[in-house]
Amino acid sequence: MARAGPSRASQRYSQSQSQSQPGSQRRASQSQRQRRARHQEPEDEPEEEPEEEMEEDDPDADLRRGDADNDLARKANDLVRLALFNEHKRTPLRREEITKKVLGSSSRAFTIVFEKAQEILRSTFGMEMVELRSRAEVNKTANGANDEDDLDEARKAAGIKKRAAAIGSKTYILRSNLDPIIIEESLQTDEKILEEEMADAPSDDDDDDDAASSRSYGSIIAWNSTDHLAPIGFGYVVLALILVSGRVLGDNELKAYLKRLGANLTSKLRFGMHATQRNMTVDKYLEELIRHGYIERQRVGDNQKTGKGRGKRARPGADDDTGAQYEWRWGNRAYSEVGERGIAQFVAEFMVGDEDADEEEDAEAGGSRHARRGRQADDKSKFSKMVRGIERAAGGELADLK
Amino acid sequence: MVSSTDVQKLFLQSLLSRPFVSATLAQTIWARCVAAVKAADPTLQIQHSSNRLAWDDFVARINVDLNGLDLEFKNLHDENTGREMYCLVNLKGDDVAQLATDYTPNEIAFFKAILEQIMLAPHESYCISSLAALREVSNLKSSMTKTQGELLLSSFVAKGWLHKTKRGRYTLSTRTELELLQYLKSTYPEEVLDCNVCDKIITRGIACPNADCQNRMHFHCFATYRRQKGTCPDCTTDWPREATDGGLIPIGEGAARDGQDAKRRVRVRSVDTSDDDSDEGDAEGEDEDEPAATQQSMDVDEDIKPKKEGKGKGKGKARARR
Repeated sequence: MARAGPSRASQRYSQSQSQSQPGSQRRASQSQRQRRARHQEPEDEPEEEPEEEMEEDDPDADLRRGDADNDLARKANDLVRLALFNEHKRTPLRREEITKKVLGSSSRAFTIVFEKAQEILRSTFGMEMVELRSRAEVNKTANGANDEDDLDEARKAAGIKKRAAAIGSKTYILRSNLDPIIIEESLQTDEKILEEEMADAPSDDDDDDDAASSRSYGSIIAWNSTDHLAPIGFGYVVLALILVSGRVLGDNELKAYLKRLGANLTSKLRFGMHATQRNMTVDKYLEELIRHGYIERQRVGDNQKTGKGRGKRARPGADDDTGAQYEWRWGNRAYSEVGERGIAQFVAEFMVGDEDADEEEDAEAGGSRHARRGRQADDKSKFSKMVRGIERAAGGELADLK
Repeated sequence: MVSSTDVQKLFLQSLLSRPFVSATLAQTIWARCVAAVKAADPTLQIQHSSNRLAWDDFVARINVDLNGLDLEFKNLHDENTGREMYCLVNLKGDDVAQLATDYTPNEIAFFKAILEQIMLAPHESYCISSLAALREVSNLKSSMTKTQGELLLSSFVAKGWLHKTKRGRYTLSTRTELELLQYLKSTYPEEVLDCNVCDKIITRGIACPNADCQNRMHFHCFATYRRQKGTCPDCTTDWPREATDGGLIPIGEGAARDGQDAKRRVRVRSVDTSDDDSDEGDAEGEDEDEPAATQQSMDVDEDIKPKKEGKGKGKGKARARR
């Protein structure tokens, strides 16, 4: 592993620094050196594979076990760092990556290191790693929903769990595990935060053409700065289109829908100020969404053997010069991050919410409180009607977050 | 289960979504986190108060949690505004940290080249014009268009890696000073100077007009100091009332004169590149050959260090006081 290189270099660095820097710097670098040394320790020793088979009467057993524990703790910390940093890129973390970057040669320790890291993530960051479901799992539950509509929730949930244990995708994403109310609260605009954010914002106003994209919303989680809003909005629309088309959408149909929305494959999506490119074509962004695991593109027919759900439409036309036909489905990240119900609510909120604005105007214009309350109830029923409609269009019960 | 420790968790999640926060914003977010957790469970008793002591205690608790992860919630005063800024800092440049950025190796090389130009800028001005920054694209190993360079520069600014002044010059950002301090100190040991008052890196402020005196201060440190004393703490030279009154030697943008970044400065790292004025890129190109150039992170820490030994001393710039 490459680890030996950097740590050796940094050791040399801290030595040279403690020679050249006065006072406080020396203190800092000394503690740093100590930390490095501690990190290096376990590596200098040969692998401790036989640790478990250690004889009881070995006088060093306890000592060595202590070292091994330290080693595990360090690896768990490394895994936490890896998970946090990896989430920046939005690509799911693969188990092989964990093995390669964190575990090194002691790959047998995966379960225990993983559990320790989960514990740190939960207790410190209120987050956890969630294993994405494998293709087969997604299909099975989709079919399950289709074929056994009358099964009660509990049984189905149990069934899903069993399958999850059997076949995982071995890829992970990071997800908040805080209370839903807290999450909801953390996304709301708060006047005081907004004020402070404004005060913090750099006041240079020379290139302000992108002011809209760098605008802040005064929420605890600065959701506007972690994702690029315009593209992610586009991604949700694609997810919604796939969902209401019976969970699978032909390539040509997607193109047709996009056209109706005024977009085609070469349209540009705008990215925020912090991106390294200002815009991306729809075509490329779809590829990106595939890489991130939000959607999947498959050749028609490829999925047949894994038991595609019934009621899927026949796909018209050939898509490209190879004559292959493609269809779009949800990727496993979408199931674990937004969920079908989440997208349905997004659509319903969007549709009903729009009308809501009109009605509020009505109400202000002269409606009584009674009338307004009536409309609110009306909105509520419209909302759930909408969700039910989406459910029907999807061809089966909407899945919650997996 | 909702618990009072959720405040800390939520606060950390908030930090992860922001490049940096001012102390006041951080405290506002803290208060809001408390409110959010209380909204989920009104029966919880959560300690919170808006005084500084309680805040420092909260920060200390967070850092206990982060201990072991090589992360730290650190503060530093913004050199431009004097405001106290906080940032979640990564202390370790390992291969895991390379993921912390979505910049490509070439883009990182561009960033490092700009850092170099800022650090080596003449007269302790620690800034470069946007033109000079853009010029660096042509000195990169792999090609980069100026358009891409411009985009990158604004991305660096938006993510808080660089600061752009009103005059349109690039300077070090508070985030860079916090997170890349070790890298800067090891790569430019003679250029990294400390403020005499707060002992933190200074790239903007004033220096004592006495040529033999090494005293330097941030503007905000100067303001605090000048309220009590009128002379230099080291050499007792009389100092003017205001930093801007003249008489003090400016550090940072104030020291930059127009047309001065016409010439590009290159830190010469290997002894055999003897020609100081060797045309652009040569010296730099050389050490980028090393495998370290594949480093993918803003944590540029590690890859420069091995080269330290071979570096010509102060070749690029002798930082002798005028």
